[in-house]
Amino acid sequence: MKFFRLRYLNAIIGLVILIVIVGAAIFAPMLAPFSPERMFTGPRLSPPSWAHLFGTDTLGRDMFSRVLHGARLTLYVGFIAVTIGVVSGTIVGMIAGYAVGWVRGFLMRCIDLLYSFPEILVALALVAFLGPSLDNAMIAVGISRTPFFARVIYSVVLVERSKPYFDSGRVVGAGPVRLMLRYLLPNIIPPLIVVASLGFSTAILAAAGLSFIGLGAQPPAPEWGALLADGRDNMRLAPWLMLYPGFAIILVVLAFNLVGDALSEYLDPRQRWRR
Amino acid sequence: MLAACFLVGLLIHLVPGDPVEVMVAKMDAVSPEQIHAIREQLGLNAPPWEQSANYVWRVLHGDFGKTIFGREPVLEFLLSRLPNTFLLTICGTVLALAIGLPLGFLAAYHRGSWLDNLLMFISVLGVSVPAFWLGLVLLVTFSVHFQFIPVAGDGPASVILPAVTLGLVYSAIIARMTRSAMIEVLTEDFIRTARSKGLPERLVLMRHALKPGMIAVVTIAGLIFGYMMGGQVIVENVFSWNGIGRVAIHAMLQRDYPTIQGFIILFAAVIVTVSLLLDLVYMWIDPRIIKS
Repeated sequence: MKFFRLRYLNAIIGLVILIVIVGAAIFAPMLAPFSPERMFTGPRLSPPSWAHLFGTDTLGRDMFSRVLHGARLTLYVGFIAVTIGVVSGTIVGMIAGYAVGWVRGFLMRCIDLLYSFPEILVALALVAFLGPSLDNAMIAVGISRTPFFARVIYSVVLVERSKPYFDSGRVVGAGPVRLMLRYLLPNIIPPLIVVASLGFSTAILAAAGLSFIGLGAQPPAPEWGALLADGRDNMRLAPWLMLYPGFAIILVVLAFNLVGDALSEYLDPRQRWRR
Repeated sequence: MLAACFLVGLLIHLVPGDPVEVMVAKMDAVSPEQIHAIREQLGLNAPPWEQSANYVWRVLHGDFGKTIFGREPVLEFLLSRLPNTFLLTICGTVLALAIGLPLGFLAAYHRGSWLDNLLMFISVLGVSVPAFWLGLVLLVTFSVHFQFIPVAGDGPASVILPAVTLGLVYSAIIARMTRSAMIEVLTEDFIRTARSKGLPERLVLMRHALKPGMIAVVTIAGLIFGYMMGGQVIVENVFSWNGIGRVAIHAMLQRDYPTIQGFIILFAAVIVTVSLLLDLVYMWIDPRIIKS
């Protein structure tokens, strides 16, 4: 009994954090005392104080406002990257699961090829060739997640297509497209939600990493990874600059992990997609 | 592997930017003829598919081309940094296993207890921490604040912080994976049989649980090695560790394509080799695998 309540608690903590962060992102312009790009709002590199909760950076920009506005970017990046990954992964995974013969063989080979690389490396390589920008980082992170999503969907489809409702669909004469969209898709939605919520955390981490090394968000965008890179340059004089964006990243990722874990346990206690 | 090479060769041409423009931007007053000459010299004027095919052909002969900026042979340039990267990856993997395995095992053994819940909460927290941020915090604490360890460089003392960073971050994942693998082993019938025979708990664990557990551990170690090779690309940059990851990021920022291509191919080679070695280790642990 105690065990279940604890699990429940984790999910609630995660949800509360998420709601706070989403709220902060939506109301950032109202909550932030300064514009995130306004310079010289106070002395440069000043430590945290009541006027500047998180201190100021080299250009005198208010860190609290920047971190707050960064929440928008981060959630946006996570959302787009996950959407790209989930949509392309679902398409590939469903076709691979539905088709037989060489189509499946070919698709699965391609997925395995990409999957054998660490995701961050795939993302890095893509960004390197697409050119550094936040949009490209989102695309790269989304694509680097595709093989993972595709594999999950593929294995779910294999299970689903062996169930009677799928055969009955065949019997009444549904074509491949109808079978996939009307019969399979509704049944793969629950696992899809779980992997998507867990995918959020990895996507946000990866995108922040790319921005940190300068291949993602470009200045003056207040993306948290980019803020950390700024903080790194001033870590001797103003170590607090890199503290808060880091906390922000940890909070968001933690929230998504907690919610995703709880969801996966709730929807399917036996199977664990988490690696 | 070959497919990867061709893909890598083709990938560049999807790109809007051009290394020659970056290069030229650094000099002043360059005529279009000179730009054309530089391109010709670097072989950038041929059609994309021809460049890609040429690239695969040359790589097969061990020629990865030269770096655009330093004009050094790419392969030697990268290989000279590889030992540093391996050193860091191995230290990190060993550390991560040393922390993560016992904790994961402990959590699995006391499944459902407060200890399990606490450990798993810590590990979710650990999974959520960006490695580069942890690296920065360690750097500020130990190098800048206390000045225990040099800030940058690649002497023996400088390996400590990056290895600890990688080790801590990945031990969280290891703990999670070990826990679920060990729970599976500990709920097997043969463990119950061993217990009901009246064997002391220590023997049950050492004799019966250890060996099937080992297979899981080897899988995890192999996975982690791969992740760490990827994760360290960024961590190397935090610590200015003179490895292949730092070189690669530098090349990416400068659009030094031959170096990036070489990096990706070298990486693919390492990963393929590691997974091959893993298969061999499996067979050694469990000869039944050979038959299937």
